Amino acid sequence: MLAVLTAVSVREVGLSGGALVEGIGDIRRLVARMLPPALPELGTSLDLLLETVSIALLGTTLALALSLPLAFLAARNTSPHPAAYGAARAVITAARAIPDLVFALVFVRALGLGALPGVLALGLHSVGMLGKLFADAIEETDRGAREAAASTGAGRLQVITSSVLPQIVPSVVGLFLYRFDINVRLSTVLGFVGAGGIGQQLRATLGNLRYPEAMGTVALIFVLIVGVEVLSVAVRRTLLADEGAGVRDGSVLAFLGRRGRRRQAQVPPTEVAGAIRPPWTVERRWKAAYGVALLAALAMSMGGTGVNPLQVVAAVPDIWGVVQRFWPPDFSSGTDLLIDGMVETVAIGIAATFIGTVLSVPIAFLAAGNIAPARWVYVAARTVIVVVRSIPELILAVVFVAAVGLGPFPGTLALGIGTIGFMAKLLSDALEELPQGPRDALDAVGATRMQQTATAVVPQVTPTLVGQTLYMLDINIRSSVVLGIVGAGGIGFLLVQSIRTLAFERTAAVLLLVFAVVYLVEHLSAWLRRQLI
Amino acid sequence: MMHDGGGHVVRLRGVGKEFGAGRVVALDDVTFDVPSGQLLVLIGLSGSGKSTLLRHLNGLQRPTRGDVEVLGVDVVRARGAALRALRRDVGFIFQGFNLVGRLTCLENVLAGALGRLRLPRYGVLTYSRALRREALEQLDRVGLADRPFQRADTLSGGQQQRVAIARALLQRPRLVVADEPVASLDPESSAQVMDVLFRVCAEDHLTVVCSLHQVELALGYAHRVVGLRDGRQVLDRDARALSSAQAMTVYQRLGADPAEVTGRVLATAGNAGSA
Ligand SMILES: Nc1ncnc2c1ncn2[C@@H]1O[C@H](COP(=O)(O)OP(=O)(O)O)[C@@H](O)[C@H]1O
Ligand SMILES: [Mg+2]
Repeated sequence: MLAVLTAVSVREVGLSGGALVEGIGDIRRLVARMLPPALPELGTSLDLLLETVSIALLGTTLALALSLPLAFLAARNTSPHPAAYGAARAVITAARAIPDLVFALVFVRALGLGALPGVLALGLHSVGMLGKLFADAIEETDRGAREAAASTGAGRLQVITSSVLPQIVPSVVGLFLYRFDINVRLSTVLGFVGAGGIGQQLRATLGNLRYPEAMGTVALIFVLIVGVEVLSVAVRRTLLADEGAGVRDGSVLAFLGRRGRRRQAQVPPTEVAGAIRPPWTVERRWKAAYGVALLAALAMSMGGTGVNPLQVVAAVPDIWGVVQRFWPPDFSSGTDLLIDGMVETVAIGIAATFIGTVLSVPIAFLAAGNIAPARWVYVAARTVIVVVRSIPELILAVVFVAAVGLGPFPGTLALGIGTIGFMAKLLSDALEELPQGPRDALDAVGATRMQQTATAVVPQVTPTLVGQTLYMLDINIRSSVVLGIVGAGGIGFLLVQSIRTLAFERTAAVLLLVFAVVYLVEHLSAWLRRQLI
Repeated sequence: MMHDGGGHVVRLRGVGKEFGAGRVVALDDVTFDVPSGQLLVLIGLSGSGKSTLLRHLNGLQRPTRGDVEVLGVDVVRARGAALRALRRDVGFIFQGFNLVGRLTCLENVLAGALGRLRLPRYGVLTYSRALRREALEQLDRVGLADRPFQRADTLSGGQQQRVAIARALLQRPRLVVADEPVASLDPESSAQVMDVLFRVCAEDHLTVVCSLHQVELALGYAHRVVGLRDGRQVLDRDARALSSAQAMTVYQRLGADPAEVTGRVLATAGNAGSA
């Protein structure tokens, strides 16, 4: 049944063998015209890159400020009332379901071009992830410590700040950095809809057929994303190094990949007798330095983009005005367009998942240290994965649209390539964690390397592969919703069109349909995973 | 610390507690008083209702029936500010210490002052110097003055429980309730923690209600011993007049008729020690 679905989807997005060859030829020709890449004017590029990072930083900070209070309402153990719990969870779910680009389009329409709509878009959309994960972290906190604080006669807010908050601080810091990383990627695309940053340069150079400069811009984006990721991982390491203690597996912190890193507890030397100020230990100095650096970066970002908290507050009435115009959703006209768009979006998601997964498997095997035939193969495959993962899918989509024209084909290709990066990473990590025993047993009976892999490894990773594919499908259908915003097919086109023409009731109708489908797919994929594994 | 001499700090009348709509009877008709300054030890098998009873004393749990009066406050009906005011006067020591592991000892102790403060606090520096000094003094009393800025989760179990005691002391409580304070400690730390707990409580003339698993420990410290079995009071007696063999009857597996056993233990106990 999955095979049939995939075949239908591949047909739907126009991915016949001929089209594929032709399309890849187009992209090759485009890339040929792009090479050698030329650096666009460096001053402007650097300004735009700085703006991109600033928007990401301000957006993530706004998201932090909104998510933290929301998370306390959305955590079962701290929520004051079931109604508050339900409302907070609903806000979080909605923020996650509305893509950042849709927020950006709406805010650009409501507030005009510039960095402010970009900051607001990232800020609101990120609440969907941060709010959820903060609430999870709060629900994981130790009940005993909370009870002890309440037993001293502390009030509700005092209990939260002195016993719950300290417990979630490591998660908050880790997730803030992690989300900042994601937001830098998203922020590189915002310029396409006029919400600031380097995206506008990519759009301009592609629009004027200045392909070498477009390639140069893509290269700059790549460098930016890799740089920010390295930085954020480094900060995470130093800042959270001593938080291993008390972190359970499966917790948010373990999810952030710091499992098992538990530094030996350092006992500070006996302090000056009677001291009532905390001593300046190495850790405390680091924390203070990072705190100062963050404040400086925030101040610089506000200075550079001209976005400040007052403006954000001042934008609230405008935003509210627009939000009201989303009601009632208008399903009256062009129902067939709506359905066609949705079908195309789902088809792109399915086709991209299928193609990406098939191509990711060989790469994953080559990128698994315990299976790769040679060290250089391993390094090469890992490099491919890192490179692919560091180019946002939407940037790829934009380039492909320039190469082969509007339609679902460039979108599918872009998502497919993104899928390769994601799946190959997960799969190769899973392969590396496999026990060595079964292979040794086959080695002992004289099986060749290929036979060992086929008989001992493949069966062991099949459940992981199936589970990840279904999960990927869920992600890809969400992602393919926005492809249409850059002309790469699917229902996103209707979103742009309705927002551009201020037909917000129509936008609401499209979004509701998207929510319904995304919700359905999410639950279907979860259900299938349970059935198959 | 001062208390109207001779008055009862705790007054329980027919307290019953059921969980899951009557499926588990955790407490059944518990009635006794604790006079000011008394050191009462509660013994009983695990599951006999000790924790549940103690958690009624500061309103962490509410009874299904009966009355709970602590320091003159009707705990069953107290809510909001009245309940917080009561909790401030009752220092509660938990079996699992219930510290925030990431925070320093001093900050954990400072949480004991929250009931006196109005605003939320985050970080040692948000507490006044006077309070920090007071917290350090309490750490000194439990023998940990040399490590106020060590993370709590890097301490041994016995040290963590002493931090928890300092936290309770900073509340300036009138009653201390301790729920198996040494159950998760090795014998040596147990003795140390019990010594510290009862020494400081005696110094401050505090009334103490403490549950313990070990009869020998109980007899060593208590003025009075109350035994629970299956939520029922099966022993209540002056500790000096109680041999360890008599106390052990609380732990005997029940015969066919619990009422009969209950009657026997109460008979050997004679008149209770609430003098
Ligand atoms: N929150 C609860 N929900 C349901 N049953 C409980 C709860 N707390 C305690 N109980 C039950 O009440 C009885 C007494 O428990 P507890 O007071 O913890 O005993 P002890 O502290 O003496 O070991 C036990 O049967 C226990 O399972
Ligand atoms: Mg207990």
